[in-house]
Amino acid sequence: MKKLIYILISLVILAGCEPKIDELTPTRGSADFTSFVTVGNSLVAGFADGALYKSAQETSFANLMANQFKLVGGGNFVQPIVTSEYGVEFPGSMPRLKLGYATTCAGTSLGPIPDIGPREPLGPVGYLVNNLGIPGAKSFHLLVPGYAQMNPYYARFATSATNMVVQEIPPLNPTFFALWLGNNDVLGYATSGGVGDSITDQQTFGFAMGGVIQSLVGNGAKGIIANIPEITTIPFFTTVPYNGLVLNDSLAKLVNHAMSLFQLPFIYHAGPNPFLVPDPTSPHPVFKVRQMQPGELVLLTAPQDSMKCYGMGLISSITLTPWPIPNQYVLTQDEITNIETAIAGYNQTIQGLAQTNGLATVNMNAKLKELQSGMLWDGVEMNTTFVTGGGFSLDGIHMTPRGNAVAANFFIQSINAQYGSTLPYVDITKYYGVLFP
Amino acid sequence: MRKITVLLLGICLAVTTTFGGGYQVSLHSMRNIGMGLIGTSLAYDASSIFYNPGAMAFVSSKFSFSGGVSLLMARTTFQPKDVIGQYNIDNILNTPLYFYAAFKPFDDLSIGVAVNTPYGNKLSWGETWQGRYLIQDLAFKAITIQPSFSYKIKDVFGIGFGLVFAIGNVELNKALPLEGQNGTEGKATITGSTYNVGFNGGIFIRPTKGLDIGVSYRSRINMKVDEGDATFTVPAALASSFPDTKVATSLPLPANLDFGISYEIKEKFLIGINLCYVFWNAYDTLVFDFKTKTATLDQTVAPAMYENRLIPRIGFQYRINKIITARLGGYFDPTPVPDDFLNPQTPSMNQIGLTAGLSVFPFKGFSIDAAFLYVMGMEREGTYSPENFSGTYKSQIYIPGIGLTYNF
Repeated sequence: MKKLIYILISLVILAGCEPKIDELTPTRGSADFTSFVTVGNSLVAGFADGALYKSAQETSFANLMANQFKLVGGGNFVQPIVTSEYGVEFPGSMPRLKLGYATTCAGTSLGPIPDIGPREPLGPVGYLVNNLGIPGAKSFHLLVPGYAQMNPYYARFATSATNMVVQEIPPLNPTFFALWLGNNDVLGYATSGGVGDSITDQQTFGFAMGGVIQSLVGNGAKGIIANIPEITTIPFFTTVPYNGLVLNDSLAKLVNHAMSLFQLPFIYHAGPNPFLVPDPTSPHPVFKVRQMQPGELVLLTAPQDSMKCYGMGLISSITLTPWPIPNQYVLTQDEITNIETAIAGYNQTIQGLAQTNGLATVNMNAKLKELQSGMLWDGVEMNTTFVTGGGFSLDGIHMTPRGNAVAANFFIQSINAQYGSTLPYVDITKYYGVLFP
Repeated sequence: MRKITVLLLGICLAVTTTFGGGYQVSLHSMRNIGMGLIGTSLAYDASSIFYNPGAMAFVSSKFSFSGGVSLLMARTTFQPKDVIGQYNIDNILNTPLYFYAAFKPFDDLSIGVAVNTPYGNKLSWGETWQGRYLIQDLAFKAITIQPSFSYKIKDVFGIGFGLVFAIGNVELNKALPLEGQNGTEGKATITGSTYNVGFNGGIFIRPTKGLDIGVSYRSRINMKVDEGDATFTVPAALASSFPDTKVATSLPLPANLDFGISYEIKEKFLIGINLCYVFWNAYDTLVFDFKTKTATLDQTVAPAMYENRLIPRIGFQYRINKIITARLGGYFDPTPVPDDFLNPQTPSMNQIGLTAGLSVFPFKGFSIDAAFLYVMGMEREGTYSPENFSGTYKSQIYIPGIGLTYNF
């Protein structure tokens, strides 16, 4: 009797010592991830915080995707890893940014400050890489012979100084690729306030993208293409409001008085007021300025020190005359329209090329609009707000590790849908957002 | 054989204590545990103070004492949805206790007191798991003390009532998705303790010898914490946004309405059923209201959306001889948590419980009571939608227990 009870208890314990749940069984569907190649710009390279550095590259969405592909037969994914956490050193290069305290006349505040440390000297890495993400590259740059001489990031892994970037593709024998290219075709223009660069015309863009895709699918590779997000979903363009000029009642009265002396028709109120920007078409004989309109954008790089302390965007505290924010820090409505039209055209081209070549697409344009109003995974809230949103790094354009993990999941979602694979998602809680001091 | 059994138990001491559909713990007497947790229609000993105060006066002896302890060994496994990796709740042992004492100054009147732990939840998922922004570990414990009286009219009808004093405390830890340059992650800790009063009342009817019917109702008790402590560990730059502060919160201990009927044949074989209706809808939301508020630290409202549930139970008892009584039972405890609100704080699933028990009477009125309860938490996929956290849960619970009863 006693023995029987012991046997029964033992059986129960053995039967269910640990509750078993079936583990995931990832499958590759009709895709072959043996040789995975990524092509594009800084977003693909893993650029973050204004620099290309080691840990950011390791958490590039390209590398995170490759890690998931390895679960279903994906091969080794080689990146041109920078040895330094502070970036690459070459003439004109900028240091990495970190969150820190800076003191101005307006007091001490938390914001991006240079993170100074020993940077990797520029030099060839000396091996073939799978991640052909090149910071600064526009679509047509990939078809420019000798582009390595114009772009030090490409020079690091170019197999020949006279190569076109697309010539790096065939030796890698890609079986699967991810392409995210074209952002810089508008960003160069947008980040210079519409004055320092031009928007790539639609024909050139279409020709370049077509050429890049041809070299990728040449060997029968399958792949995925991401489209271009709106600039109004990127914190670089949305952090400083057009009406960020906050005045109290007495100051507003004083300014109104001054403006009437300048014979400028602008009225200021207590509370937020629009900044002044240059207006060459103004009828005023001296002060060619106007107030910013709702929808117009001030760039994150605008000299906020001058704006907070010396009256930029209102009246200079030194010359005591109207002082507009210089044009290169502002996107006017016309400039924004140019950008939006270009992006809409690019995305049509991308969609068409994807359809023609039977490729998966990931609608980053729509995803970022969703992110703008906030997304939530595993108790982590994310949005497109600078610093606190968690997805964008301190340059306001490139992603944090957490942002990259989310981007990788967007790609994986589309790949699974297109190719019938069951790739698992990246655990986004393993990747951090902006680091605080 | 015994050694092997002990060894196996040792290996499987991988333990949590979420037990019962929600956070109700129904381990209050080894005799009742052995019979599928039925009790409303039983009048064996002082444990009736808890199960049905109306039955107290039907306990035949002048004095009755009963006490015991269970050893709750549970393991819950979690598979996140579409993400590689499984997680298990870390090992925590829990030992729910009970003690009852009853005294009959007159044959028709009984007074007594019950001390036990009808509610609790203790679990630890670890510091680094995927759901750490929802919960890392939680310990919620409530002890109730219930002085009661019972009166019977003839040997047919009994009524009883008791006040339930509940004392509870809670500690909750979770990570915050805020990372420091020094590599540390943010953390929130909430602790608090409180007490409140409810009641337990019941009716017991014995229409004919061998047939017993019981109805009992235990009221809801709101465990309201006014001055809990919230402490935050965050990067220095965010310290002013997350000040340590007092916090107010409230957790309801749900009301239970029990109906039981049992029939004993020739004082040898007993069969009983019990229907327990738990008013889980009392647990609608969990609010943390921080005294000091900042732009980032505001009142948090976590919907729970529990639903009322009926737990059917059945139990059997067989008196093998004067010395040994054996018991068997089973029940189905449906989860009160909807699929959209399945939270790793209380990983609740439908449970099937199978029980066995044994009493040994070395002399009249005194028994050593043992019970074993095996609970299978049925595999369940769900999402806690307010935090968009999805996955599959499954659990196994083993609860051996031992107690003593003395009626004289």
